[in-house]
Amino acid sequence: MSSHTASSSNGGNGSGDSGVPKRNSKRPKYSKFTQQELPACKPILTPRWVVSTFMLIAIVFIPIGIACLIGSRDVVEVVERYETECIPVLNRTNTVQFIQSDADKTCNISMTIPKRMKQPIYVYYQLDNFYQNHRRYVKSRSDEQLKSASKENDTSACKPEDIANGRGAIVPCGLIAWSLFNDTYSFSRQNQSLTVNKKGIAWKSDKQKRFGKNVFPKNFQGGGLVGGATLNESIPLNEQEDLMVWMRTAALPTFRKLYGKIEVDLEEKEVINVTLMNYYNTYSFNGKKKLVLSTTSWIGGRNDFLGIAYLTVGMISFALSMGFTIVYFVKPRRLGDPTFLSWNRGPGSH
Amino acid sequence: MDSQNPFEGEISLNRRKEENSVREVRHGSRGGDIELLGLSHKEIGDDDARLVYLNDPVKSNERYEFAGNSIRTSKYSVFSFLPRNLFRQFHRVAYIYFLIIAVLNQLPQLAVFGRGASIMPLAFVLSVTAVKDAYEDWRRHRSDRVENNRLAWVLVDDEFQQKKWKDIQVGEILKIQANETFPCDIVLLSTSEPTGVAFVQTVNLDGESNLKTRYAKQETISKIPEEEMINGLIKCERPNRNIYGFQANMEVEGKRLSLGPSNILLRGCELKNTAWAIGVAVYCGRETKAMLNSSGAPSKRSHLETRMNFETIILSLFLTLLCSIVSVCAAVWLRHRKDELDILPFYRRKDFAHGAPQNFNYYGWGLEIIFTFLMSVIVFQIMIPISLYISMELVRVGQAYFMIRDMLLYDEESNSRFQCRSLNINEDLGQIKYVFSDKTGTLTENKMEFQCASIWGVDYSGGRTISRNDPVKVDGKILQPKMEVKVDPQLLELSRSGKDTKGAKHVHDFLLALAACNTIVPLVVDDTSDSPVKLLDYQGESPDEQALAYAAAAYGFMLTERTSGHIVINIQGERQRFNVLGLHEFDSDRKRMSVILGCPDKTVKVFVKGADTSMFSVIDRSLNTNIIHATEAHLQTYSSMGLRTLVFGIRELNNSEFEQWHLAFEAASTAIIGRAALLRKVANNVENSLTILGASAIEDKLQQGVPEAIESLRTAGIKAWVLTGDKQETAISIGYSSKLLTSKMTSIIINSNSKQSSRRSLEDALVTSKKLTITSGITHNTGASDAAAVNPVALIIDGTSLVHILDSELEELLFELATKCSVVLCCRVAPLQKAGIVALVKNRTRDMTLAIGDGANDVSMIQMADVGVGISGREGQQAVMASDFAMGQFRFLVPLLLVHGHWNYQRMGYMILYNFYRNAVFVLVLFWYVIFTSFTLTTAITEWSSMLYSIIYTALPTIVVGILDKDLSRRTLLKYPQLYGAGHRQEAYNSKLFWLTMIDTLWQSVAVFSIPLFAYWASSIDGSSIGDLWTLAVVILVNLHLAMDISRWSWITHAVIWGSIIATFICVTIIDAVPIFSGYWAIFHVAKTELFWLCLLAIVLAALIPRYVVKFLYQYYSPCDIQIAREAEKFRSPRELRNTKIETNPILGSPHR
Repeated sequence: MSSHTASSSNGGNGSGDSGVPKRNSKRPKYSKFTQQELPACKPILTPRWVVSTFMLIAIVFIPIGIACLIGSRDVVEVVERYETECIPVLNRTNTVQFIQSDADKTCNISMTIPKRMKQPIYVYYQLDNFYQNHRRYVKSRSDEQLKSASKENDTSACKPEDIANGRGAIVPCGLIAWSLFNDTYSFSRQNQSLTVNKKGIAWKSDKQKRFGKNVFPKNFQGGGLVGGATLNESIPLNEQEDLMVWMRTAALPTFRKLYGKIEVDLEEKEVINVTLMNYYNTYSFNGKKKLVLSTTSWIGGRNDFLGIAYLTVGMISFALSMGFTIVYFVKPRRLGDPTFLSWNRGPGSH
Repeated sequence: MDSQNPFEGEISLNRRKEENSVREVRHGSRGGDIELLGLSHKEIGDDDARLVYLNDPVKSNERYEFAGNSIRTSKYSVFSFLPRNLFRQFHRVAYIYFLIIAVLNQLPQLAVFGRGASIMPLAFVLSVTAVKDAYEDWRRHRSDRVENNRLAWVLVDDEFQQKKWKDIQVGEILKIQANETFPCDIVLLSTSEPTGVAFVQTVNLDGESNLKTRYAKQETISKIPEEEMINGLIKCERPNRNIYGFQANMEVEGKRLSLGPSNILLRGCELKNTAWAIGVAVYCGRETKAMLNSSGAPSKRSHLETRMNFETIILSLFLTLLCSIVSVCAAVWLRHRKDELDILPFYRRKDFAHGAPQNFNYYGWGLEIIFTFLMSVIVFQIMIPISLYISMELVRVGQAYFMIRDMLLYDEESNSRFQCRSLNINEDLGQIKYVFSDKTGTLTENKMEFQCASIWGVDYSGGRTISRNDPVKVDGKILQPKMEVKVDPQLLELSRSGKDTKGAKHVHDFLLALAACNTIVPLVVDDTSDSPVKLLDYQGESPDEQALAYAAAAYGFMLTERTSGHIVINIQGERQRFNVLGLHEFDSDRKRMSVILGCPDKTVKVFVKGADTSMFSVIDRSLNTNIIHATEAHLQTYSSMGLRTLVFGIRELNNSEFEQWHLAFEAASTAIIGRAALLRKVANNVENSLTILGASAIEDKLQQGVPEAIESLRTAGIKAWVLTGDKQETAISIGYSSKLLTSKMTSIIINSNSKQSSRRSLEDALVTSKKLTITSGITHNTGASDAAAVNPVALIIDGTSLVHILDSELEELLFELATKCSVVLCCRVAPLQKAGIVALVKNRTRDMTLAIGDGANDVSMIQMADVGVGISGREGQQAVMASDFAMGQFRFLVPLLLVHGHWNYQRMGYMILYNFYRNAVFVLVLFWYVIFTSFTLTTAITEWSSMLYSIIYTALPTIVVGILDKDLSRRTLLKYPQLYGAGHRQEAYNSKLFWLTMIDTLWQSVAVFSIPLFAYWASSIDGSSIGDLWTLAVVILVNLHLAMDISRWSWITHAVIWGSIIATFICVTIIDAVPIFSGYWAIFHVAKTELFWLCLLAIVLAALIPRYVVKFLYQYYSPCDIQIAREAEKFRSPRELRNTKIETNPILGSPHR
């Protein structure tokens, strides 16, 4: 009786069994799609599945973690913090005044190489507590102006560094360019100077597309307050690589920027003397300045975090897969056992 | 005059849908009498009236500009589309929120996003809706154009000419040919029939396919408009939407005639069986009753959406919290750096360039805080998932698509598909706790079948064989009744034996009564085939009468012709003509009808039929006492079998009696004042001292699959209540045959006549039911799915008791009692009481209610319930029009609730949670970054990616999953109706799940944000590159999160999930390839490094592992029913399942392979 009811209403095997179809019949056409019967896979988290996935994660993650750690440890990094040392002892009580004065700001520091460093050795400067991602700051630029000479006056986003008093637009305008880092470093070992290659430190894409080759600096730092470096007005923007590097604003308040590359190997225990011009004012906001020499590996710079993270995830996965295996053997449950259904479990039933 | 209000009157027995019968105009009420006493001649005040000058449209339209006949169902024109559509769309609070955010962003101080990017999401949502609306409106425009350009014959210059519908004016005289549609509302003047009758089909208006009769006034019948000028004035009421009412009077040739609903032809109806009809247009275009009635069903809000709004409020509090944290921290930061700000390289408060240093873009500490707050609202706006609303709409459309196309919900018989009339409450179908069902037409087929007869004290109920009666030859055509009836051989033999013997005479009279005492119009079906056998179709407004007429035909008494003056009955092959001298309509007071026939043998007889209670009071009890007793006994048996009974009586009128009646009848039917009451009085005078003829029993057949469906619903934990206008015995017997009542149940019956006795019986019943449930109290608590199933109680209550209970303090008692009962049966309830009972439950619980019905009397109940389902049956379209869903059969309720309802609920519940999660995780990633930008709301993720996030990156998968994912197969769901309990227990969406999801969200956002943070700390990474990493990480994460929860992967699911991830990569690449964006080429640089990919992998896994573990532990060690059923579906072979003992429910799913 009941099956009759069902079969009389389904006609699901196509229109073939429903006899001669009536004209104008509104009977929905059968298709797997409209009847929601598309072939499909129905994944279920079985213990075997779960244990295997965790095992797989462990197998993949632990080696990656180890590789990351090795890669990170391969990197030789020398960091020298200098913002305090480079202020004469007498001036250390009033650093801001010193940095804003015209006094000689030459400063000599030396760095000892802990391990052999293979070329290329990247020279970075690192700033702390400098919010290159501050909203006022990141918006204060004109990409139109940087790109083409004709858009020179497109400076509306650059305020207050947009126009030099009565002399027209500042090129490049905006706070980012204005605050261009201007400490300089020259390296020597055993009184023999080391060349720092400052070519090729900016992104090729920036050189080709974003910074115009016909755009020359103009009125730069002419806005009444000098914020940082000055630019040679005879060199087009697309060759001002320091500017390009600086204008790739950093994501985080502690960041490094590439200064140049030393293209010779440095030996262990070698002492590098650095003559630096400490011009840049980070003192007004207690920013730190560091000079960094670093080699590179496949993982990038020296940072153990990712390796540790991978190892941790891998270990946890391994532990979980072990744990689940044990629990599975101790307290198994038959999958799909209808006696577990809530209405079969009540004391009212058998 | 309690019959004035159809909802208050007592409910009669033998008529279905009683209020219809009162409202509708029946044969014989020539004068279109207005039912209300004293109103028949009511002056229609000049202010309230519209004056229509016959054949003078200019004068008619002079004083008032009546609407022309062109109609406009479209909502917009080309010019008004934009403003009106926008205005309509902004009724949504969510859109206004969106708009405010977009406007805020236009202020220069707050401009977080570029102008384009900030308007895009709103513009997208608006334009999607606008395109949808525009398409719908274009279709309406097209159908309007077709409608307006149809042609009709209009009298112009004494000649009927063709005119477009849109040019027809009030006052013009029209001629309509057979099978044409009326272009406007017309007062009938004359027809091709000499008596001025016109038959109309109102199927377009109320869905009833039977023919209705309309009359022209005697005074105008003879007029031929082409030849003589008709002058006259119609004064009628203002346009209104009551299709059963019309009040007017007409002045023709100095005479004043009153017009009623039987004199008007309504737009949309068709002229049938009448060669032509002439009438004058009184209401045109949008003022026609059809147009005034074309409004959609009231919109309902889904339960889930209401719940969701609560969580949305929590989210907005959360948003406020985030924004407050940001602004407070920003304030502290500003205060802390107060002295440095002027020249701080990344702040530079002072502008030195333009003369004296002055503040630049700095409005003081206080204002800066407010600005920061507002900006953070803009940045974190998608915390409130606006896109969820539009996604939900799309998902519901998709779900409706599949419900409509489900072959299980297609009704072969009426050739009707499932209809989704409301697109807001799909998911409510998964949480229904109470089903309120009408009986007739819903549980039963409303296809009456003559079953038994008791004639002159003899029971003829041996109807087994189907008679193929010798077809009858009339005018060279062979007529055959359309419907076949089972006949009793003994009765058949008697009926053929003429009327010579005494027994045969009674049979003859009884069958004559069946054939004659009705208002049936016999119609010969015009099929095109040349076969001489024509089918005879009995058209009538009462299915009972149809059944009786077919039965009479089967026994050789075939009604073949009806005109206004006579009927022709073919008695055993012999054509006999009876003059219909008078006809007293059925009304709910008398509960009977009578017809006075002039027989061929020159005698005058009155035949009466009616409900047993009303008939026994007019039958002469002194005669034939034995026969009366026997008939009463038979009636008892019949009604206990669930049959509908009618009693027949006869009386021969002698000449003086006839004359007396005739005079009174003539006087009454031409009376102007109180015609209805006068006619009733005349009827009462003639309907007495009857001789009993016998009784008929008609079966109202149960619809296919009803008992199984009810059983399924019960197993699913749904309580079924049946509300019917039928009498108690019939209702109870239908209750048993539909398995609603079982022998295991204890019935409590409440029949009271006063408030006091109602209270007493309710209190007694409560005590009884408590006793019954206490004895089973121990199991009561554990068997949560159906508490009362152990010792079930059925409550049977009648309408009279409900009158005293509803709207009084006794409601509370009734509710308490009713919730203890597993079945409630309310008999003899009026339509408004039905709504009252629904409201009784709806207002007291948070459980969902569903009302299902097929007739006009169910409309109020359907509109009251949370979900209204209309059965598109034989009873017209009113129920369907008012419903949210419409279908062909009651049993479709099972797949609708158990399968589609379950799926829709699970899908929608998950979708809401997922959308909350999806947007929150993104906002939290933005938030964590803000902490590292000195609280200045910089986003590393580009503004375009933020905007595209909920439109392109993650929108499609959730919509597709919301439409297509199935946790369980149809088969399993039908096999274990108990699985429906998941909806009752709100398993797919509840606050526990919400908070769990939010905790998970918190963890995932931390994982997404912090892994790149530490991996790139103190490196030369730039903002755009790390932003791209975060974008991709979030998108991959949320898509995989969804992937992890999908129960069923078809190729479509694969395509959208992986497609979305690929689309995101493509979009990010495109955005980074635009040289004027500061992130130019970033993705190409960062994607070259291994670190990027390792971060991505670490983020996704670290973020998902906790969820994976919790999900597994929960599913494995505390599995819900759905989980077990899923496992069973996958791992247990079907044969193994069949052997388990749980096969309680016989309804199996469709055996599709």
